[in-house]
Amino acid sequence: MELLQYAIRKLVSGIPLILGVTFISFVLMVYFGPDKTYELLGKNPTQEQIEQVRHQLGYDRPFLVRYGDYLRELTTLDFGHSDSTGERVNGLLGRTIPISLALTAPGFVLGNLLGVLLALVAAYHRGGWIDKLIMGGAVVGMSISFLIAIIAFQLLFSSSYGLNMFPVRGWDVYSLSDYVRYVTVPTLATVFVALGYNTRFYRAVIVEEMTRDHVRTARAFGTPPWKLLYKNILKNSLIPIITRIMFSIPLVVISGSLLIESYFGIPGVGKVTYDAITTGDQPVLKAVVGLTAVLFVLTLLLTDILYKVVDPRVSLK
Amino acid sequence: MTSEALLSVRNLSIEFSTERGVVRAVDDVSFDVEHGETLGIVGESGCGKTVTALAVMQLIPMPPGRIVSGSIRLNGQDLLALPERQMRNIRGRDISMIFQEPMTALNPVFTIGNQMVDVIRRHQPMDRASARRRAIEMLEKVGIPIPDKRLNEYPHQLSGGMRQRVMIAMALSCGPKLLIADEPTTALDVTTQAQVMEQIVSLQEDYGMAVMLITHDLGVIAESCRRALVMYCGQLIEDAPTERLYERPQHPYTQGLLRSIPRIRRQRLETLPVIEGTVPDLLHLPPGCRFADRCPRAADECRAHQPPLIDRELTRVACFYPGARDD
Repeated sequence: MELLQYAIRKLVSGIPLILGVTFISFVLMVYFGPDKTYELLGKNPTQEQIEQVRHQLGYDRPFLVRYGDYLRELTTLDFGHSDSTGERVNGLLGRTIPISLALTAPGFVLGNLLGVLLALVAAYHRGGWIDKLIMGGAVVGMSISFLIAIIAFQLLFSSSYGLNMFPVRGWDVYSLSDYVRYVTVPTLATVFVALGYNTRFYRAVIVEEMTRDHVRTARAFGTPPWKLLYKNILKNSLIPIITRIMFSIPLVVISGSLLIESYFGIPGVGKVTYDAITTGDQPVLKAVVGLTAVLFVLTLLLTDILYKVVDPRVSLK
Repeated sequence: MTSEALLSVRNLSIEFSTERGVVRAVDDVSFDVEHGETLGIVGESGCGKTVTALAVMQLIPMPPGRIVSGSIRLNGQDLLALPERQMRNIRGRDISMIFQEPMTALNPVFTIGNQMVDVIRRHQPMDRASARRRAIEMLEKVGIPIPDKRLNEYPHQLSGGMRQRVMIAMALSCGPKLLIADEPTTALDVTTQAQVMEQIVSLQEDYGMAVMLITHDLGVIAESCRRALVMYCGQLIEDAPTERLYERPQHPYTQGLLRSIPRIRRQRLETLPVIEGTVPDLLHLPPGCRFADRCPRAADECRAHQPPLIDRELTRVACFYPGARDD
């Protein structure tokens, strides 16, 4: 009951955030984004044709009315049709979002899981050569650009110069084995790039926790070192770890997949968003921006609930 | 110094590497703890008393710490020679330790029960249910009301005094032979301090264990210890039965300490006597007696040579001119 009340309060307090994000993005879209009119018209259009197209696109109506329409669309989750292809926006997103999720989820999960594991190992051997090896590797991983990593992995795994085991582009997924074939190289590239940052961050968190008084107490009662790590220390370090993981979710879903999708020719939501930005496809942009803001608020809520689960001192009042 | 002592520390020296150089935190300290006795270790902050206790537990972080020399024997077994795995079995079972900060010494994200059951099951073959029963029994012994309810609570739900009691219950749950209490009451308010100390003393009698009580509070020593060690700048400077320490302190530092205890009736309007000067920097120690610069009796000999510990009546004292107060 306390949880439900808290959830409702938190969602209500998320409304101003959604309003702010959508308003600013809408201003940018309308006044600074590309104008779709001339793309839709042929050469040498007449004044009437121009006005007709602008009317169809809704460009001739006052800004606030259009913003009001946007909010209505967001609350009913009906964003109309794409200006570019005429496809229903909901259909477009329903088709591409699952692809993006399937594409980014393994890399995201593995990147964090391996990050925590390596961080635990490094923290356990802190100061020793294993720690130095892991941290050195992390710095190398952090220093290599995502683009370079993608190209290198493509050369290594998907070209005749390398192993030539996986397809270099596309997404023809009808079975699990197809999925594994197409997702492996993007996942490796994502993990490679994310692992450095994650490991460094998690190691710092864990090492700080190791100096706490309660860790000394546990040692004074004979707790073996591995149990100290996975029980006494890890649970205490979970708050910063959860924060980092949760807050990267909205980012990973939309922008994280953009590079991967364009380099691997995968029709996901990142690609759709990128195309919508460059062509000024406002219905699609409105949907993506609005849904991302909503996702962010939901993530905040879920993060707070997870805090409560790991740390009994957190109160949801 | 008998041979059948429970704990016997000999010539213990411990160094720490710091950014400014190597600091010798404990310098050639030797003492015994007899079975069932309460030994007080007193001294100001930084004098090496906590480091000595942590050395007995083998909990000194190494690096930066290093045990340079000496031996620590528990019932004749040299703890310094013991592999870490065997030392883990001794911690919490043969020697337990309770710490100064009850606010942070317990793990905040696990229940009291979880932490106690963990300790009990680590050292005694027991299923979860009987370990829980044992935990409830222990909480009852340290005077915690409704222990079965407390078991499901988290440390932040208890007061400071309660937490320290939980620590004591946890420390005694495996029946240790030696309990090291590092300033167990310093962080508590005065009323709770007395209660917690009483608890420790009465449990000690029940269990027949020895207690090493580390404190800077001479009052606590007077109430509960049979014998006390005084440490200054990493060295043991006086070792005497408590009564004797109070009646006839031998070392001028001990005398200064005793003089600086406020006595409410006698000295209401006078200023409290203090020991002049400050503790020397452990990085730049004088060649002679470390107390010489603050000592009213210091002679040339004191500044040139370190006084060895000598036996004088029932006391061991490190001073060239020990004896009665000069005032």
